[in-house]
Amino acid sequence: MISSNRLSKLAVAMCAALPALVSASQTTTVQGLHDNSSSYVALQNATIVTEPGTTIENATLVIRNGKIERINTNNRAPEGARVVDLSGHTVYPGFIDAYSNYGVPQPEKQQRGPWFSTRPEYNNKREGGNAANDAIHAQVQWVDNAASDSKSAQDYIQQGFTAVQSARLDGIFQGQAVTLSLADKIVNNVVYQAQARHFGSFDKGTSQQQYPNSLMGSIALIRQTLSDANWYEQAYGKDAYNGPVEYNAALAELGPVEQEGFVFTVSDDKSLLRAHTVFSEFDVPVTYVGSNFEYARLDAIKATNSTLILPLNFPAAPDVSGVNDHLDVELADLRHWERAPGNAAALSAADIDFSFTLHQLKKADEFWPNLRKAVQHGLSKDRALAALTTVPARIAGVADKAGKIAPGYMADFVVAEGDLFTSGTIKSVWLQGEEKELAPLRKADFNGSIAATIANQAVTFELKGDDKVGGELVIGDTRSKLRSSRRDESKLSFVVDTEFAGVAGTWRMQLEQTAEQNYAGVAVGPDGRELTFSGSRDTAEQMTAESEKSADQAHTDYVSRLTYPNVAYGLDGLPERQNLHIKNATVWTADEQGILEQADILVRDGQFYRVGKDLRTPSGYTVIDATGMHVTPGIIDEHSHIAIDRGVNEASEAITSEVRIGDVVNPDDIHIYRSLAGGTTMAQLLHGSANPIGGQAQVIKLRWGATADQMKFDAAPPSIKFALGENVKQSRYPSWLSTRYPQTRMGVETLMRDGFTAALDYRERMQAYEKLSRSERAKTAPPRPDYRLQTLLEILDRERFVHAHSYVQSEILMLLRLAEDFNFTLTTFTHILEGYKVASEMAKHGAGGSSFADWWAYKFEVYDAIPQNACLMSEKGVLTSINSDSNDLQRRLNTEAAKSVTYCGMSEHEALKMVTLNPAKQLKVDQYVGSITEGKHADFVIWNNHPLSSYARVEQTWINARNFFDRERDQVLRAELQDEKQALMQKVLADPAASNGAENGYKREQPSWHCDTEHDTWLQTFTAHSHGGH
Amino acid sequence: MKKLMTAVAAASLTLSAAAHDIVPGEPQQQPILLQGGTLYTITNGIKQDTDLLLVDGKISAMGKNLATPEGAQVIDVTGKHLYPGVIAMDTTLGLKEIEAVRATEDSDETGAVTPEVSGHVAYNPDSEVIPTIRYNGISHAQIVPQGELITGRSSLLQLDGWTYEDAGERLDIGVHVNWPRVGVSNSWWETRSPEEQRKANAEARKNLKRAFIEAKAYYDAKQAGELKGTDLRWEAMLGLFDGSGMLFVHADDQRQIQEAMELTKEFGFDWVLMGARDAWRMADELAAAEIRVVYGAPFGLPTRHDEAFDQAFSTPATLAQAGVDFAISYPGYWDVRNLAFAAGNAVAYGLDKEAALRAITLTPAEFMGVADRVGSLDVGKQATVVISDGDLLDPIGQKVDMLFIEGRLVDLNNRHLQLYNKYQQKP
Repeated sequence: MISSNRLSKLAVAMCAALPALVSASQTTTVQGLHDNSSSYVALQNATIVTEPGTTIENATLVIRNGKIERINTNNRAPEGARVVDLSGHTVYPGFIDAYSNYGVPQPEKQQRGPWFSTRPEYNNKREGGNAANDAIHAQVQWVDNAASDSKSAQDYIQQGFTAVQSARLDGIFQGQAVTLSLADKIVNNVVYQAQARHFGSFDKGTSQQQYPNSLMGSIALIRQTLSDANWYEQAYGKDAYNGPVEYNAALAELGPVEQEGFVFTVSDDKSLLRAHTVFSEFDVPVTYVGSNFEYARLDAIKATNSTLILPLNFPAAPDVSGVNDHLDVELADLRHWERAPGNAAALSAADIDFSFTLHQLKKADEFWPNLRKAVQHGLSKDRALAALTTVPARIAGVADKAGKIAPGYMADFVVAEGDLFTSGTIKSVWLQGEEKELAPLRKADFNGSIAATIANQAVTFELKGDDKVGGELVIGDTRSKLRSSRRDESKLSFVVDTEFAGVAGTWRMQLEQTAEQNYAGVAVGPDGRELTFSGSRDTAEQMTAESEKSADQAHTDYVSRLTYPNVAYGLDGLPERQNLHIKNATVWTADEQGILEQADILVRDGQFYRVGKDLRTPSGYTVIDATGMHVTPGIIDEHSHIAIDRGVNEASEAITSEVRIGDVVNPDDIHIYRSLAGGTTMAQLLHGSANPIGGQAQVIKLRWGATADQMKFDAAPPSIKFALGENVKQSRYPSWLSTRYPQTRMGVETLMRDGFTAALDYRERMQAYEKLSRSERAKTAPPRPDYRLQTLLEILDRERFVHAHSYVQSEILMLLRLAEDFNFTLTTFTHILEGYKVASEMAKHGAGGSSFADWWAYKFEVYDAIPQNACLMSEKGVLTSINSDSNDLQRRLNTEAAKSVTYCGMSEHEALKMVTLNPAKQLKVDQYVGSITEGKHADFVIWNNHPLSSYARVEQTWINARNFFDRERDQVLRAELQDEKQALMQKVLADPAASNGAENGYKREQPSWHCDTEHDTWLQTFTAHSHGGH
Repeated sequence: MKKLMTAVAAASLTLSAAAHDIVPGEPQQQPILLQGGTLYTITNGIKQDTDLLLVDGKISAMGKNLATPEGAQVIDVTGKHLYPGVIAMDTTLGLKEIEAVRATEDSDETGAVTPEVSGHVAYNPDSEVIPTIRYNGISHAQIVPQGELITGRSSLLQLDGWTYEDAGERLDIGVHVNWPRVGVSNSWWETRSPEEQRKANAEARKNLKRAFIEAKAYYDAKQAGELKGTDLRWEAMLGLFDGSGMLFVHADDQRQIQEAMELTKEFGFDWVLMGARDAWRMADELAAAEIRVVYGAPFGLPTRHDEAFDQAFSTPATLAQAGVDFAISYPGYWDVRNLAFAAGNAVAYGLDKEAALRAITLTPAEFMGVADRVGSLDVGKQATVVISDGDLLDPIGQKVDMLFIEGRLVDLNNRHLQLYNKYQQKP
């Protein structure tokens, strides 16, 4: 929020000039007269909340020179101090917003056309020692650019804020923030902490550079940059292999970041955990600007041991008023609408520290209503106050001077009437000992029924309103409406048509409050006569009004469920692990035992324990009668793009081996559940095919409900996606945009060769450095650790395995020979639709093939694809699997495998292996999964029918002996979610304020990623290729 | 596998021939007696161990132990499954060769309202894709122009022709409409506000109605002899008003379907609903209104996040239960060959097997007005017969040995078999 349009320098200067006598700095020469006004003030009779949980009643707060001198608990005002009577008022420490862009220049809006309209920029213009990436502004100290801005300050001050931590909110490394007082003084006098936290986000902001254009790219850039900063500390001033180490201000500034820490913005709970992972690698402490989704993964958030900054922009309810609106609304959004205001209370209950920020609010005055909403949802008032004072003071690095009312602290405080956390109002905000009045301390109250006697006649004024007072004059049964009402702090005047003392006409009248319930009045008649009177207010009525105000009740009776993930079909928790006796099934072992009729399986401690006939049920085992059913190993998909957030391709540079799908696993993806319902238990999540050397892959088990980290199958060795052919040579780009090397299959080969050669050179330099003597090292820079090349070395060391997107025979052969040149084995060719043409070459090399069953014709390089491919590869000895590359096909890989039975007569046992044991081997996890073999993980599927048949349906899917999909439970969930949705919609419809709130407060739907989905997640551009893009 | 290869060899001249040497079948010269098969008649249930006699391109007799006419070719189909040719609705076969190569695409004309274009005009009978479709037992396909709003007219072609003319089963059956979008999207690539989306939706709806009004006005003026010139667009839609043509409405969302029901009623169109993902939400309503439905998402993902994982799979069963008259399509071109498997998948999720078969044979024929000739095994109908080793709907059953279209033996060879054969010979 608060796009603090920076005022022109002139305007700032003028604002400063008006109270010039007060705000002259110590170094400014005095023009005209010296200002030596007294700053000695005693605020008497106050209730002082010195910090959350500590309140002193009836005390005097003494301030001088912008600071708090002392708190007189005896309520004495010292001699010589100006006394302000605060009776009936409460003083709170001034509020601090630890996440702001106040007082710093804003980024220029970038005009960007659609994806294919501008030539891609691959490099950043280097100037001023900046970083190589345009999203890195770490060298900027925002104190150098800060200026007071009294106009923007208003938004903050009106909510009670006195200080902010501020930086320009643009880019990934946004620079070092400054903590400023919002006092209307020149910036020199308002700097509380010149070097506060670094700010950052995953969003590259106004950067024009291609890299990064995915979330995983941003994470990789952060990882490399933090590593570079460590390297730069050792390397600068020394010689690298190719000359002196460059001057790099951004890296230099990041040197002490382990001490300075980060304030980092995330868009949801998942990204908070992602950020935590990467910053933890470098011991960088981070405060997260949260999303109010944290309640959905509370345990994981708690485990990060982080402090949060919470925006108070609760989402507006989805519109459900139209008769068909239920068709467009998701349960997850309705749930979040109900629970987002309770996020702070949930964090508080989990003992997670947080502060509040005005950031993201469209209008600053939504702040207090929303904060009160959070209180109504169960947040304690003390925690709420801490979130405005002590916690942000700590985050902003000013805990020694702000956030409390204590001697020596800055005289920054808020004077309020009533309980701010339910209904009170802020009367004034004191910034560095100067009062900013928002409302008069004392303001006459005319609400109620005021009885008076005028010219011996009993009358009643029935009045209502604070700023605009209206009402009626009641005499007996006659009611006359008051007109032309006008008021100031103490007096109310109006005219009324009536009759007093026999004089009828328009009378002018005035009321003045003289005491809590007493009023003095004067009435001027149409003939000019003046009648004075006194009146008193009926106290009973006022009481009712008061109690109505406090009748707000807690809003914690949620009708929504909280599940894992918190979307439709989420589970209440991790399913229980069971010991099982599966009886009388047709067991497709996918190992040498083949297909066993009427067989039993014992599952113990999460593993297959025995497979055989007529086994006895050990005690405590759950029996599953599988008569007439078939049991297969869980299906394994070598090539999947489900469960990935914000970009499947780092579609910028040609080699991006440093990016990791593992950084962006999306455990909330409904396709996990849908795939379980199709019998899939494990998937390799692959980077897309935009680059010859793409990103690192991630093998997951489809543990629906778990966090991203818990889904990862750590026993799987590291792997990586390569890609060849049409996608990497950008065949569908307009030619004038195709500036990236390579643009041909020839170039793909040389680019890869160059990458591996560079990795070997890199290793040599590392080794050479290790051998240097201490004195040589003093002059020689250590080689810069390079995640990209490091990853390529892992391939050459056979520690990371390549899955290469490939179609035509020439490129397959090329990659085989290239791998042989570099002495490693290409693990698996994926897609590999012309694998049948070079199957013997593949077999000889030892490469596997993972193919589509029958896809072809969707682009030129698949024009020779045939559905007999898997058979031919298998026959020639290639380890062959069938994959999905599709969130649809991933649900029915069983019948995809069956097509090799259809088209080329593969045996059913071998066909099933193509989606179980064979992909397990290709992922090098076959010692754990892939077959129903004693000792392997109990990942299995129960089918109602022959598992390769059209007529097969999944009854249950188990992972590690936990039931993650059950057809019967699914039926129950369907019914429950309908009821829950209806109840939530009723709640929305019953809430008159439901449509208030943030417009984009929900997690946006992720597209169905395909191999060739290229988009810039930060520019929000997207090329959705038509059906069949792979 | 050997068995399959023998069957294929019998049906084709040489496997190593280039694709364009796959010659359309010769007109039936002699009676053919298919002896002892399991006949899925569609109209009269499943007949075990029954003979089928094909004469002059027609089914001339069906029954047990039929006498062998003189000069007849007798084919023993004992243990095999015989079906009427499968009819694929809603395809772009012959209009697209390689999807990503624009030069090979002839499916989308420019402009929002292009009823004047006809699918068969650009149909390439030598498309390498077509023989691969026949290989899975599909004898006929509806060729549908794609595009924005009113996309053009479709034609039903049999898949073994020299030209679209001799392939034409029925040309210019009807006009296709993509119903304008309804509802609002929360996807992050949707940059418009809900309000803007609603406005755009309403605008598109208005444009569609305007086109119908224009077409009707043209028809009325023509009837009254008041036309000053010829407009090919409205000429193409005359059939909608004189009853000779029909309207195919592609609509998935419940709101689209309801709007389509209202508008078609207003204009009195003879129409068929295509796509119909949300049909399950209104199955009773569709049945009561006797709307013909071509369900286009038999392998679909759920339309909405909160829908059941198998919603798209189980919709045919829901429609059947409600008594809706429905066919099943699998829109596309190269992947249309999975149509029978898609129908089989619907069986896994509750549809009766015979109903599934009907939904890809006779019902499409009825919807396109050719049920008097094709769509079932009945005496007097075309001799369009699929002979499979096993269950056509199941990948572990389907092995098409032979396909007759109007009595002509179709060459089942195709690009895939040719490449398969070639590379089996690679040392």
